[in-house]
Amino acid sequence: MDCKPNFRPPGLADRFLTWFCDERVLETLQGDLHELYGQRRNKSGKLIADFNFLLDVIDVCRPFALKRKSRSIYLNNNIMLKNYVKIAWRNLKSQPFFTLLNTAGLAIGMTGGLLIAMFIYDELSFDKMFADSNRIYRVNIDMRTGGETNYYASVSGPLAATIKQDCPHVEMVTRFRTMRSALLRKSENDDNVKETHVAAVDSTFFDMFGIELLAGDTRTALKAPNTLILTKTAAEKHFDMSDALGQRLLLNNTETFKVTGVIDDFPKNSFLRDHHVFVSLESFDDAYSKAWNNFRFPTFVKLNPLADIDDFQGFLNTVKESYVIPWAMTFVPGLTLERSRADDKKTGNFMKFGHIALQDIHLHSGDRQGEFSPNGDVKNIYILALIGCFLILLACVNFMNLSTAYALRRAREVGIRKTLGANKYGLIRQFLTESGLISVVSLAMAILMAYSVMPFFNELSGKAMVIPLSDPAFWLVIVAATVLLSLFSGSYPAFFMSKFIPVKVLKGSQSSAGGANIRSVLVVFQFAVSVFLMVGTLVIFQQLRYIQTKDLGFQKDQVLVVDDVSAAGNQMASFKQQVLQLGGVERASLSSYLPTPSTRSGITYFVQGSFDAANAAIFGHWKIDHDYLSTLDLEIVAGRDFDERIYTDSSGLILNESAVNMLGLQPEAAIGLKLTSDFHRQDKENMKFMTVIGVVKNFHFESLRNNIGTLSLALGSGANRMIVKLNPGDFSNVIRQIEKKWKAVAPHQPFNYYFMDASFNSTYEAEQKLGRIFVIFTILSLFIACLGLFGLTAFNAGKRIKEIGIRKVMGATAGQITVRLSIEFLKLVGIAVFISLPLGWYVMNKWLEDFSYRIEISWWVLASAAVLAIVISIITVSYQGIKAAMTSPVKSLRSE
Amino acid sequence: MKIGAFEELVLLAVGALTDNAYGVSIKELLREKTGKNPSIGALHSALYRLEEKGCLISSEGGATAERGGRRKKYYTLTTRGRNVLIETSKLRLEFSKNIQGLNLRWDGL
Repeated sequence: MDCKPNFRPPGLADRFLTWFCDERVLETLQGDLHELYGQRRNKSGKLIADFNFLLDVIDVCRPFALKRKSRSIYLNNNIMLKNYVKIAWRNLKSQPFFTLLNTAGLAIGMTGGLLIAMFIYDELSFDKMFADSNRIYRVNIDMRTGGETNYYASVSGPLAATIKQDCPHVEMVTRFRTMRSALLRKSENDDNVKETHVAAVDSTFFDMFGIELLAGDTRTALKAPNTLILTKTAAEKHFDMSDALGQRLLLNNTETFKVTGVIDDFPKNSFLRDHHVFVSLESFDDAYSKAWNNFRFPTFVKLNPLADIDDFQGFLNTVKESYVIPWAMTFVPGLTLERSRADDKKTGNFMKFGHIALQDIHLHSGDRQGEFSPNGDVKNIYILALIGCFLILLACVNFMNLSTAYALRRAREVGIRKTLGANKYGLIRQFLTESGLISVVSLAMAILMAYSVMPFFNELSGKAMVIPLSDPAFWLVIVAATVLLSLFSGSYPAFFMSKFIPVKVLKGSQSSAGGANIRSVLVVFQFAVSVFLMVGTLVIFQQLRYIQTKDLGFQKDQVLVVDDVSAAGNQMASFKQQVLQLGGVERASLSSYLPTPSTRSGITYFVQGSFDAANAAIFGHWKIDHDYLSTLDLEIVAGRDFDERIYTDSSGLILNESAVNMLGLQPEAAIGLKLTSDFHRQDKENMKFMTVIGVVKNFHFESLRNNIGTLSLALGSGANRMIVKLNPGDFSNVIRQIEKKWKAVAPHQPFNYYFMDASFNSTYEAEQKLGRIFVIFTILSLFIACLGLFGLTAFNAGKRIKEIGIRKVMGATAGQITVRLSIEFLKLVGIAVFISLPLGWYVMNKWLEDFSYRIEISWWVLASAAVLAIVISIITVSYQGIKAAMTSPVKSLRSE
Repeated sequence: MKIGAFEELVLLAVGALTDNAYGVSIKELLREKTGKNPSIGALHSALYRLEEKGCLISSEGGATAERGGRRKKYYTLTTRGRNVLIETSKLRLEFSKNIQGLNLRWDGL
């Protein structure tokens, strides 16, 4: 045949042929096709030959030519399995340094991941333990008046009865009443014990939440007035558990209550976790009050199994116009539905009844007034989940980096295995076995570590978690996670190594392990995450410090708060006088209202002469005494403080700047203004007015997350706290003296006290927790990143040992060599810093947006995070660099 | 032993080509004799089947430049293949005897 050789048919079609064709027929088939192609090319030219070749390739795509699986490979693999494990084990043993870095990194990452996963699981498990909890909802109120919106978790008293009567979608309604703390004692005892969380509840409580009584009868418990039930803990605290039933307790030194039941403690992940005493709702005078403006009753409903929550919300939407307004019409002259609508439209005011599912309360309710326990925030869950994923990802990245870097050492092994007939998949399987082995070991270490740091972590996060070692589901998840993790982190090295070409690696011509680019990207990623977390930590702590040192407009240092002073009864005033006479005491004041978390109440005022509903002003309303402003160092900007010598001050009023602003006045102009909250009465001529006598400078009495609200201060009695301003000196001595005075005026009553700054700081507990958790995980991620970097530099230095030796011989100093070895990694860290700083700045600015009073992220925060990262990585990198640079060239060059 | 009409043709071609029966030459011969250009896929498919059935055996030949260095696969008739051909030819002859105007002869019989 006289055809010219070396005609090349179209490459793509040819490759396609090679791809689908079975090896056994490929050679003949391809040979024939090429020969035909040559002939056609000579005869008809390239175009037709190409076209025919293509047709032929498609034509031979028949069953006989297709690739077939060979069964023998599979048989062999199962036999090899034992060998894989053995070789994996030997390999790990022969490189202890590498193995240690890898397992340590993975174990630390997994520990962090495990802790975070448990934290999140716990947060998500809230309130799911109650029977039918998916049908239970709480009613909320959002209310906007006078330019301010308030969010309530407790609602009007009559709502429960209204729902029960008129809403067909609801199976059951349970009404609580907020009480906060109470002093309790057995009638025959003298010493009071304080219970911090007490609530009143009606007798549907048991049916609603599926609660069983350990002692007592659910049909009668909590039915009658002056009865209560206790949890096991409270029962043991006040009585011996066994004989608590039928006992009597004196509440706040005034009323006697009979114990009609004992229940189990509520789990830590329920909204009632801190509550140990439940008083019958019947005990309260206002339980059946018709007033809709008193938001004291947290109300829960259980829907009918077939009802839809939207139907219930539909009913709630009608409550205002069908029930609240008609009630208001009974005492507000001239009020009609139309007028109320018009007023709302004009002022933007509203009163909305809403709902939240019981299971959502913990993470989605936020910080409404009247919540039973402090809630979590779903945002923190997201942040933590992100950090957890980062940590595990970092650990995996570490694994990949080290494995591929160290792969060169095993290149010969791979080459020989391939020559002896190992195929790609067998090798992949072998390397996956190795990563699996490391994962299993790391996992065991991680569980051990998580177990041992759990108490510490619980303290930090305020939880009571235990690792559920006996729960099969836990192990199932763990096993699944391990398999996934080892597949994920092992797959890249496995595919990477199994691709080595035997001829090259055995000849030694594959001098670099390759994959260096991917390793660089991974190092950048690790450090970017670490620097990002560092920025986060620094910003959180800076904001916390800003809050704690900010001038709040009142004196919180050296101020002692004595709780429950009303237990002294009519001796209260004399107790205050006695305390004032003590040496270490500067000032003292009686009031329930503190700028730190304490009692709060609001009141609606009208300015004299304008009783239009649109002009209603809702101010915070605090009852204080004459010494209040001076004790807390509150500054008067106009007018004067209350004066004991001026008896008309009993109807005087001091406003804060926000309140004056809301009225649209300057502080000076507000003095003498007459306000009334007495507008309910029918006989208008007897309406009582309050006169503004002073304006106090704004001070922060809410969290700095919020703007300063409106406030009115008036003289009043019924205080339950005493604020004592101490002189600098030995506080403990003064406190002892105060306690002695207390025991004298109020024998047997507990002496509860705290410092105001401590109470203030506790307002920011959520941020502090977040900050501490951030610190820990930042350190962990930095540590993992450094482990990886350390391993990489060690590897790198080892690889270049001859180069270093020659450089030394040629006169390079140890310093120069160190720099040379370190600089390429430091470049990567530099890039990481460059990427993560803007990201950190952006994300943390978003976080700060929650605070009305916040820091600006200054350049030095970013700079110090960058410097810290670089310094830490320099230390990590240069250790290996110096070690390599100090090696004697004689040693390193000897062998060649 | 059943073989198809195309397989029979291929078998005949392999027999006819004696020492030089490989993909391209078989294809050429078939085109020459039948006047139709058989598709290469069909041809190889038939060769493969015939080998499976034991009518052909193959042996690898030398590589040539126009095949890009790939070896040829030469096919030879086996005894079995030969018998199959005899059998089919016999069958045709038998039938043709009974058809008037057809006068086929086969010297080997």
